[in-house]
Amino acid sequence: MQVLIAQIINGLSLGSIYVLLVTGFNILLLVAMIIHFTYPQVVVFSMYITWVVLELTGNSVPLGIAAGVASAVVLNLVSAPLFQKVMTKRGEVDINSTMVLSMGIGMIITDVLSHTFNKGLPIAFPEALAGGAPLIQAGLISVSTGQVWSLGVGIVAVSGFFLLLYRTRPGRAFRAIAEDPNGARLVGIPILRTGLASYAFSGILGGVIAILLAMVLGSASPGLGEQVAHKVLAVSIIAGLGNLAGGLVVGLLLGVLEAIVQGYISGTWSNAIAFLVMLVVILVRPKGLFGTKL
Amino acid sequence: MGQSSLPALLQVRGISVSYGHIRALRSASLEVFPGEIVVLIGANGAGKTTLLETVLGINALQEGSIVFDGRQIGGVAADRNVRSGLCLVPEGRGVFASMSVLDNLLLGAHHNMKNVRANLQRVYDWFPVLAGRRNQIARTLSGGERQMLAIGRALMSAPRLIMVDEPSIGLAPIVVNDIFAIVRRLNEEGYTILLSEQNANKALKCAHRGYVLETGSVALSGTAEELLSDQGVREAYLGA
Amino acid sequence: MPLPLYYYLSITAVNILMSWALYLPYRVGHLHFITVANMAISGYTAGFLVLNLHVPFGWALLCGFLLGGLIGFVVSLFIGDAPTFAVVIVGFTFIFISRTIIENLSIIGGTMGMFGLPNIGGSPSAHRWIVLAILYAFVLAAGFLIYRFDHSCLGRAASAVFVDPDLAASLGVNRKKLGMLVQTVSCTIAGGCGVLYGFIYKSFHLDFFTFALVGIFMTVIFVGGYTTQWGTVVAAPILYGVPLLLPPVVQSWRIVLYGAALILVLVLKPEGFMTPRFVRSVETFLSGSRRRRNTSLKEVS
Repeated sequence: MQVLIAQIINGLSLGSIYVLLVTGFNILLLVAMIIHFTYPQVVVFSMYITWVVLELTGNSVPLGIAAGVASAVVLNLVSAPLFQKVMTKRGEVDINSTMVLSMGIGMIITDVLSHTFNKGLPIAFPEALAGGAPLIQAGLISVSTGQVWSLGVGIVAVSGFFLLLYRTRPGRAFRAIAEDPNGARLVGIPILRTGLASYAFSGILGGVIAILLAMVLGSASPGLGEQVAHKVLAVSIIAGLGNLAGGLVVGLLLGVLEAIVQGYISGTWSNAIAFLVMLVVILVRPKGLFGTKL
Repeated sequence: MGQSSLPALLQVRGISVSYGHIRALRSASLEVFPGEIVVLIGANGAGKTTLLETVLGINALQEGSIVFDGRQIGGVAADRNVRSGLCLVPEGRGVFASMSVLDNLLLGAHHNMKNVRANLQRVYDWFPVLAGRRNQIARTLSGGERQMLAIGRALMSAPRLIMVDEPSIGLAPIVVNDIFAIVRRLNEEGYTILLSEQNANKALKCAHRGYVLETGSVALSGTAEELLSDQGVREAYLGA
Repeated sequence: MPLPLYYYLSITAVNILMSWALYLPYRVGHLHFITVANMAISGYTAGFLVLNLHVPFGWALLCGFLLGGLIGFVVSLFIGDAPTFAVVIVGFTFIFISRTIIENLSIIGGTMGMFGLPNIGGSPSAHRWIVLAILYAFVLAAGFLIYRFDHSCLGRAASAVFVDPDLAASLGVNRKKLGMLVQTVSCTIAGGCGVLYGFIYKSFHLDFFTFALVGIFMTVIFVGGYTTQWGTVVAAPILYGVPLLLPPVVQSWRIVLYGAALILVLVLKPEGFMTPRFVRSVETFLSGSRRRRNTSLKEVS
């Protein structure tokens, strides 16, 4: 029983990370109208920046967090004009160009990470951020304080994000554009400015996700970005592209599924099983479970 | 209220707009004075929507000028114009179906959050049915209620000029009467209104002046009475 | 034959073939990344057949093709007319799953890889000549097939689907069947490529079949131009060859350079360098000069 509880906690904290990633991806899809395939790789990049700053400042957590968030925002804002330039249709998502552009960006990020930081070896995050003494121990499964923290922060982040979306002025603008970009323009919503705001916004979100990932995983490697990216994209397809509520449900489910499987089967296989399940769902329902926006 | 001695609130002079190779507007001109209701009549495809959207700032001007409140606004983006007091109630309601009534109204106040509570209360006073449904998703509203929501949303931006594109489309005749009654009441409160309509009869009956748009240019203009009694207009647009 | 030349020619052939394998489904808008998984699966299978079961190379190669085609066909039953996005994810997922399976199967070498594949034809140099011969025969055959496809009504139907799938469907194009066709052919090509890729090095290793490979083929297609098949023919040798001429320090940043090239092309010249107009003008020039020589009427396309 304890094992199950520990796994569910782990699963929910991992799941809340997936939810945040899918949401950041969906916001870029709905408001900036791009498919930023490699948004999770931007997140991993900011994990690395956080690590560098932590190393340089002797584990100053606030500075590390600030650096991570800033780097994600900067990367997003720098890529914004590129995305704008390749979008050929104004009111719609141009799948091919934006997705391929995003892949190009991802290629560069991953390769830079494998060359410059720590000579390409995985990086480990200090105890200040991750780990700490196990809070719950049940056989081989343990839940550290770091992981409980990350669950808490994850819940706050997800609720905070949805609160922003549903109760604030920029959030309303995002939703209006998400539903009907042309209608939003007619109502006087500044499309370009709001689109750029969504880049900045998902950048901030990305920085937060990076911190959470550091807390949950305790380490990062150049290949992490690709792995997470593929899972997040699979989640977004299954939930239905652009479907925020669907993303919430499927993201959490995936996290819990992975954690439970991990409790019984070793590492890489649990990943493969997660992918296998998602593959089957996608093959059977290529348009997603809850309906897609595209 | 009729034409005042004040200068025109909106002056559209000789504007031409094309969509690719298609000329949607050719040298169209009109004027709207403060406190008026002006109607734009024309068949489908005559260019009414294009004209209103161009004034709002959606389309680029090939030639001509648009002056609103003494300032040139040709080429200015739509959101800036909304901020300066221009607004459009688009055809098809301009309502976001997945968002609540309240959220739709708040969207209208995007550029005018200062007196949001007071404005909201005024809209609810104007349209009590919206007050009762403030947390309902807009998709669940009837056609007439959506039209009221769209107008209410426009009012939230404290506009100087309200443009309405085909307010009666798709609505039952009784509801259409209600909508035009609302238009008249708004005008009595001091709002200046420019509306486009295929349903010329009812529109001209509540307006002060009108313009007839045919294939992108103004074919005829005059007071509402003049247009109502004009033989050509009667045959073409009033079904007489 | 000097070894570097051998590797250059053989890898270039693989790049051309794999980029064509991606070009074909992209004609209907699908980025069919599962082809990289096909490479791995067919390659390792063939390697296992030859190394452990002593099956002759020819049969193993045939198996590789068939296995690729089979997988492609079965998967296309589901995603023949799926949105691009779904096709992409299916591809990546397949790559991931196949890599995981290969990693964990010790009979095919696991993470260490499979080494010591025998020389085809007895000696190392015979092996190299044979591999090159097969590769370039393959290139010619595939090129011819794709040429015929592009210039047939199927090719025109594919172009219609690329531009406006709904309109194409209303014109009578069976998107699913067309999608299944191009996907199956593409995976067949990829299967054969995977086998040959390993036999170039006489070994199979997971590092051969990474996600970076996807990036490389994408760069070749988009820089070369995805609207004609000649783009990859020109881009593959250049994109593979130019980094080889650079100092090793720069070479290790190959992927970054490819990524940058991909981004630049998308932003500056989205159709790539070999556009249909360019190809037509070359064709006109060639048939025009032939006309001058033969003084007979020739149809100018």
